[in-house]
Order: sequence, then structure tokens, then C-alpha cells
Amino acid sequence: MRRAVAPLLAVTVALVLADSAVVTLALPDILRHLDTSVAQVAWVLISFNLVLALVAVPTALAFTWVPPRVLSAVGIAVFAAASAGCAVAPSIEVLIAARCVQALGGALALLGCLELLVAEYGERRGLAAWVTAGVVGTATGPVAGGLLTEAISWQAIFVVQVPVAALAVPAALAVRVAPVPTDRHRPAVRPHLTLALLSAALTAALFLLVLLLVDGWGRSPATAAITVSVVPVAALAARPLARLLRPGEEVETAVGCFLVAGGLVGLAIPPSAHLAWTVAPQALVGLGLGLTIDRLTARAIHLRLPRVEHAGWTIGARHVGVVVGLAILTPVFTADLEDAQAPAQEAIASLVLDAPLPAQDKIALARALGDELTAQQGQVPDLHRVFAAADLAPGVRPAAAALERDLDSQLERAATRAFRDSFLVGAGLAVLALLSVVVPRPGRRA
Amino acid sequence: MSARAVALPGIAAALVGGVLAVQVAYGGGSFEPLRPRAPCAARTVVSQSEGIEALTERLVLIAVDRAACRLDVSREAFLLDVAGPGVRSDAEVDALRAALHDAVAQMKADDTLPPASDLVDEALDAASLNGLLEAVIRALPDSAIDAALRTDDVLDRAIDDLDLRALLADLDDQDELEARVEVAVSAAVTDSLVARVRDLI
Repeated sequence: MRRAVAPLLAVTVALVLADSAVVTLALPDILRHLDTSVAQVAWVLISFNLVLALVAVPTALAFTWVPPRVLSAVGIAVFAAASAGCAVAPSIEVLIAARCVQALGGALALLGCLELLVAEYGERRGLAAWVTAGVVGTATGPVAGGLLTEAISWQAIFVVQVPVAALAVPAALAVRVAPVPTDRHRPAVRPHLTLALLSAALTAALFLLVLLLVDGWGRSPATAAITVSVVPVAALAARPLARLLRPGEEVETAVGCFLVAGGLVGLAIPPSAHLAWTVAPQALVGLGLGLTIDRLTARAIHLRLPRVEHAGWTIGARHVGVVVGLAILTPVFTADLEDAQAPAQEAIASLVLDAPLPAQDKIALARALGDELTAQQGQVPDLHRVFAAADLAPGVRPAAAALERDLDSQLERAATRAFRDSFLVGAGLAVLALLSVVVPRPGRRA
Repeated sequence: MSARAVALPGIAAALVGGVLAVQVAYGGGSFEPLRPRAPCAARTVVSQSEGIEALTERLVLIAVDRAACRLDVSREAFLLDVAGPGVRSDAEVDALRAALHDAVAQMKADDTLPPASDLVDEALDAASLNGLLEAVIRALPDSAIDAALRTDDVLDRAIDDLDLRALLADLDDQDELEARVEVAVSAAVTDSLVARVRDLI
């Protein structure tokens, strides 16, 4: 049991931070199952990040009065109970409320686990374990959520968290921790600013990419999950690369920001809707993630007291970044999706008019396509249903199949175009993060 | 600056530059929906249908091109506009009627209008005439029909008789215009023939 304590606490950290984006791929299923609106379902994602951002620092203050192992155990238990509540939520309102409670418990669990891991492993190794678990959780959250949604259901995302968290409660209580010191260092502003901007940019990378893959290109959540797994794999490759080259902390962080920006520009301009075109840009984002988040987090916390309070600042900064990223990007891509409808309809009209099909078939297809577009207002329509249901003579089926391929291509083009500006805004946020690293501090000589 | 300090930035610059260069080289940035052609760009209109259906398809496609050109909007934007909900403007109705007449004139000039005799059987099949009258018309030789009826006259008359405002107000989709015009053309062919036969009798 003793050996399992630290790994269980690290897994808890990964679980809580994975929850930041774990529901991204489940949002369409939640929308359908709870019969809600797109605006409301987005709050399943936003509420968790917003509450975590708001309560992280105030929660850290509580660790001065209450022993960390007690607060950690309470936080993990609340997180587990709220996860169970999310899984059985009968309405969107209950789900959002449960997500808020989950974030509250999650904040206690995250901060407590840092103290417990440091108690178990020592300052440097404990902090490294806490930071690495967080990076792994953040990067793998959408992948795990997508696979669970596809294989079982969106509720499974929350159900699987309950037993792991339940096991971590006695693990937390088993750790003896020294009281939190009362000495105070000022928070490091610059790493937090960079963390916030970079988190906003990474939100663009993960959140927008899964939306593009599932809603824009019509891939299944499982396919999308496997596709976006490039990011965590590349993130893991970043550390050995940095160890090999030893470029220095600031250079490493600046390069990481640059890679995230470059990857987002790459995601903005794929040459086609083939999944392979997302691999290299994602690898850039993953490498950037691996070079930055853990370095910045460690820099903001290492040797600063009280440690738990500075950890609260990093969690707050990261999740403020996520919320700001969502707040900036959601209206941009929603407006762009609406703007994409007219060009897509014109392209469809043009292809149907010029299709080498008899006039009656064109009329029948145009009617059915119009109905499909109307029925799926606001979403990318599934045109295959129209062609599968069409009563076409065998002689014209090849031409109809070619038309279906062309129309699908037009929809993919329209969706890709609609996401472009959002990815570029994300790249802009990563460039701002880069500037926050490279611009000299006031009073500091070059 | 040491080689170690510039190695990682150099590798990163090469990776980002390489990825973006390959994407742009393969068309990244231009993966966008098809852009409609300029409103007055020349367009070859072909039909996979036969008889009146082919005639009306070509007529309507040419007319939509011409109407869009008159209104200085793309063909697709014009069609989506007239097929969508809302009130049609006088400019749209007038442009479409004028464009239909233009289309007849163009097809006549291209010598792509079929003789009236080619349309008779199909028009009679679609009409519900009394048996005797239908038998008389079917018995007429093609030369007599072509001498009595000119396709462009029939089409122009059909276009003049079309209540385009009501027709456009009731359209469900962009291709339905074609179906409605086809019905009108069939009716015009039949009505003209019936009128001629009645005149002869």
C-alpha cells in the first residue's frame, strides 16, 4: 500500500487536470442526451475551468490552518462524489452544478497532492512529479474523454474517475506532512502571465482541433481521440530533447511558445481534410507544451513559500488562460461557422447545377439536400443520407457518387476555413506568451 | 552565443518552417469552398436529359446566368435568394423574365432550339385533352406542326404567361424553378397546337 501512495496521488493530479478538457469530445453527446443548447453545453467545459481558476488561490490559504492530508482527502472525496454526480446528472443544470463542485474539490485535491508528493519525494522530485502528472493529464484529457465516449458513453468519463479518486483518499490520509510554513514570497508574475497566455493558446489547439475533427470533418470521437494523441506523445518527447541540448530555462520556454504558435498556424492551413495533415502541426504543439508548461510551473513554485499558495497561483493562471481562451475563441469560430454557411451553400448549389445528372434527379437531390441543410441548421450536415435515399437509375449512380464526394469536400473546405481564424488567434496568443518571455524585464540589462 | 544556446531555437525554426512550407506547397491556405464564378462569365450549358426536360433545363440555366449577370450577383447567390423565403423584388422578377427571353434568343441564335414537332408527343402525354383532339394532333405530320408553330414563339408566349412573382414566392429549392418552367412549356406547346387545330377546324 505504501508504495502505491505517491502514484495514486499523481494519478489524482492528472485526473483533476484532465477534467479541464476531458468533456470536449463528449459535448455533442451531452447536448443530445440532456436535450440542451450549444451555449449551455459549453458551460460544462467553462464552469469547471472558471471555478478552478477562481478558487485555487483562496483554497491555498486554507492549507495554513488545516493539515494538508486532511484537506487533500476532503478535496479528493468531494471530487469523487461530484464526479459521480456528473455521471448521473438528469439535466444540464445539475451537470454544470456538479462540475462546479468537482472543480472545488479538484482545487483542494491538486494543492494538497503537491504538499503530499513533496512530503513523499522531497522538494525537487515531488514538484517534478506533480508538474509532470499535470502536463500528462492536460494533454491526455481529450483523448481519454473521446475514447470513453465512443466506447461506452459520456457518463463513463465521470464514472471511471470515482474508484481512482476513492482509492486516493486513504492514500492522502496515510502521508505525514509538515505544517505549511508561514513565510511568504511574492508570486512570480511573469511565469504566470506566460502560463495564462500559453494555456489560452493550448485550449485553441486541443478544443478547436477536436471540434474540427468531429463536427467539421465528420470523424468519430474515437478517431479524433486517437488523432489528438499526437500532442501528449510529442510532449513526452520534448523533455529528452531539452535534456540533450540544455538550452537554458528561458530559451526553452521561448522555443516552446514558438513551437505552439507554429503548430497552430499549421493547423489553420491544412492542405486537405486528411488526418495526416494534422500530425506534424500537432507534434509542434506537443513539443511546445512539453517544453513550457512544466518549466513555467516549476519556475513559479520552486523555492517559493508557501509552496501551496504559489501552486494555487499557477493553477489559477492556467485556468484563467483556458477560460479566456474559450471566451475569445468561442465567439470567433461561432461567427466564422455562421459566415461559412453562405459560401458552402453557394458551392453546393453550383455543383448540383453543373452535375452531369438528368434534370429530374438534380431537382430531387436539390430538394433533399435543402431539407437536410435546414434540418441540421448550425451543424455540418450528413449528405450521405440524402444520396443513400435517392431513387437514382443505375446509369447515373457513378455521377451521383462523384457529386456526393465533391459536396463532402466542399463541406470539409467550408468547415476548415471556418476554423482558420480561431487557430490563428490561438497562434497569436502563443506569440504573446513568447513576447512575455523574451521582452526584457524593466531595469534588467541585456 | 554558444552553439548549445542556438541549437534548440535553430531546430525549432527548421521544424516550424519545414512543416509550414510543406503545407503551403501542397495547397495549405487555399483549402476553401469553391468560389462562384463572376456573374457574367461565359458558361457552357449542357443537359443530360431529353425532350422538353432538356430544353427547359438549358433554358433555365442560361436564364439564371443572364439574370444573375443583369443583377450583378453570382448565379448561385441569385438562385439561393429566389429559392429562399421572403418577398421577391421587382428587379428580380423583371431580370428573370428578361433573362428567360434572352435565353430563348440565344438558343435560337445558337440553333439549339428543337423544332416544335420534337416536343409535341411529350406535351400531349402531359396534357389531358379529349381523345379526338389528341388523335388529330398526333396525326399531323411534323412538317405541318413546324410550319404552324415556331419553338421560340411558343417559349416566348409561355414566358410571358408565367406568373413569375407567384412562382418565385412558392419555390422550395433552387432547382424547382426548372420543374415549374417545364410544366409551363409543355402547357404552352399543347395550348398552341390546340389553338391552331381549332383555327383550322
